[in-house]
Amino acid sequence: MLDRSDCRSIVVDAESLPQLQTLLAGIQTSLLILIPEVDECRTLQEQWPIHHFIGLRDFDGTETWREPAASDNSTAYLLFTSGSTGTPKGVVVAQRNVISFVDYMVERYQINENDRLSQTFDMTFDLSAFDMFVCWERGALLCCPSRKALINPGKFMRDMELTIWFSVPSTIAFMKQLGALKRGNYPSLRLSLFCGEPLPVSSAQSWLEAAPNSVLENLYGPTELTIACTLYRWNAASSSRESELGIVPIGYPYPGMSVLVADQNLNEVPPGGEGELLMTGPQMSLGYWKDPEKTAAAFVIPPGKTDIYYRTGDRVRRPVDRGPLTHLGRIDFQVKVMGHRVELGEIEAIVRDATGFDGTVAVGWPPTPSGYGGVEVFVEGTASDPEAVRRSVACRLPDYMVPRRFHFMGQLPRNVNGKFDRKAILNLLEGGL
Amino acid sequence: MNQFDPERLRVFLRNHVTEKLASQGREAPKELGDDCDLLLSGMIDSLGLLELMTAFQEHCGCEIDFDALDPEQMTVVGPLCDFVSSQMARG
Repeated sequence: MLDRSDCRSIVVDAESLPQLQTLLAGIQTSLLILIPEVDECRTLQEQWPIHHFIGLRDFDGTETWREPAASDNSTAYLLFTSGSTGTPKGVVVAQRNVISFVDYMVERYQINENDRLSQTFDMTFDLSAFDMFVCWERGALLCCPSRKALINPGKFMRDMELTIWFSVPSTIAFMKQLGALKRGNYPSLRLSLFCGEPLPVSSAQSWLEAAPNSVLENLYGPTELTIACTLYRWNAASSSRESELGIVPIGYPYPGMSVLVADQNLNEVPPGGEGELLMTGPQMSLGYWKDPEKTAAAFVIPPGKTDIYYRTGDRVRRPVDRGPLTHLGRIDFQVKVMGHRVELGEIEAIVRDATGFDGTVAVGWPPTPSGYGGVEVFVEGTASDPEAVRRSVACRLPDYMVPRRFHFMGQLPRNVNGKFDRKAILNLLEGGL
Repeated sequence: MNQFDPERLRVFLRNHVTEKLASQGREAPKELGDDCDLLLSGMIDSLGLLELMTAFQEHCGCEIDFDALDPEQMTVVGPLCDFVSSQMARG
């Protein structure tokens, strides 16, 4: 798919460098690889002569640049997400997917040249595409904090006089702990957007006390459906009632996007029923790069339908009448860690490889209002050098996926079927292990 | 010397960080100098920072307004301990 769509470049940030070797191992065509946080890339260049690496020193800005021709189905970007087998999946997002998204966003939010937007997302997180494309489409100002500045997001917001804030909901809980959500603290904000993980009702309420002039919207969307594909505007009168499990609804589909809430046979559930969320429409990406099997498993034609739908793996409630969609959790072993999508299986695969022990279970821990603070790993076996295991795992995973603790045990709890009992393992952690 | 003296807070912080690192099977450095940045040195992550803030508040028995602290200094040993101490002195 990369070949067909002429995608020829990738951007790699410092945190993703450890995964670069794995990604490049499967690529036969020449790529342009930008690593802006590295001064120069001679070592990588010598190791992978078919690709071209560009580091910070190579950006001298003197050469003339012309916009390349692109068709609707050209690849806008290829974004790798956590995969359960240990190898990340590359989502192929087309020009028309992104254009459809950006056009709707700039109109809905009336973005203009007086706006000042936050840029809190890593380049490896597709929500960063909102920050850049939506902002620049209307000539607004994008304010990029340093890594340290994000330790105190409130100060950054005030110093930059932001009008639009966009982050994961975890940031709200973080700021609350720092004492940064005092009443009326952020009067300059006119719009606050949250996406990437469930938004707790209590977080939305605290945020609006601190940002009284702001409209608040909760966005939802997997990378495969291009950045965000449903949204919900908070309403003080009705939102608490419409929320379920203390989580703000994910709302209504973007224009042109269709929703199907289905049971395990992919048949639609009745109104009010629970099921997996499937969606189709102009923002549905082209599939997984060079992986027809995984593409076929996730992009399906449900019984009685003629269109291809993407299976999100998210559990939702089908609305009654014209109510909003509510998010109920995941149907698999994917968790959210500080807003990042994490397949626990990917971490387990890498830990198994590092220790040589098959009995490995990764769990999200500790729970936070919107997911988990990190990941912990349980291994059936003893390690002679736990620190060496940690180091070896840490250099193959981005920071947020590195287990915060390793527990080596003689035997892991199992259920009656002989499978590892995740619930019993979580009970150990709840008991203060 | 009261219990919120900057030097005592440094001891408290060092014990907290050592304990956290030990629970992850990691060893703490022998010295934790005033200009050591806990975040950039990889000793704590952002969740670890929250745990540290909570530990300080429990230790001091009251809420501390960390929002007033410059983010450049928030994860640096010396300025962080001096900040907490000054907040406690103000009452």
